[in-house]
Amino acid sequence: MTNADNPAGSQGDPGLQPERTTLAWARTMLALVTASAIFLRWLPRHGFPVLMLFVVAIATAAAIYLTQRRRYSTNSYGITQEKVDAEIPAVLWTASAGVALGALGIVVVIPG
Amino acid sequence: MLDEKTDNPAAVPPKRGKLAEWLLPGGIEPDPRFTLANERTFLAWIRTSLALLAGGIAIEAFTSDLFLETVRKSLAASLLLLGMLLSAGSAIRWLRVERSMRNKTPLPLPLIVPLLAGAGALATGAVLILILRH
Repeated sequence: MTNADNPAGSQGDPGLQPERTTLAWARTMLALVTASAIFLRWLPRHGFPVLMLFVVAIATAAAIYLTQRRRYSTNSYGITQEKVDAEIPAVLWTASAGVALGALGIVVVIPG
Repeated sequence: MLDEKTDNPAAVPPKRGKLAEWLLPGGIEPDPRFTLANERTFLAWIRTSLALLAGGIAIEAFTSDLFLETVRKSLAASLLLLGMLLSAGSAIRWLRVERSMRNKTPLPLPLIVPLLAGAGALATGAVLILILRH
């Protein structure tokens, strides 16, 4: 049986690239959840701006969580076809979330 | 047996999205393993930047009886700024690596490495001096 017959469930790559990549996203998601918990802890002291930090972090984590199944399946199939498209939107969104968190954090820290 | 569609894949270039054509123009599709490895490297940088962001927030929130206000605020703001620069830098590095893989050119040097090392050393040195003088 070829992998193309069962694209989502098969591992055509002995280097387990799709699995490692999905796990790397999962670790990033967990880091975002941890960060959002720290922001929540900060909420009583700084109020609304920190709520925005929490929302950005948890929304990014949720977006990663919801795309994991598709990601694993696409990459797993892509490896068998020797072609995986670079995940430009996911990379740009995640990096933008990092920049937004930094900027919001500075806005909170400086005046308060 | 090959049908007409797969008989010569090079003759019909695969369709790519507008975003891909804009940000990753030209070249040929790299080995998918390298594309995924580049993605994982990007994610490792993002996690580094998230650790710095969380650290900046933690310093501001939990060290009020340890540092003077100006020290605390400048340290927190520096960590947040570094985290922000690393987030942006990691996306830029991801793009540059992806482009050089498409065009089979040598991979670019990571500018975010000296940024992280330099800023980390500076911040640590500053904190050390402040603690010793306290």
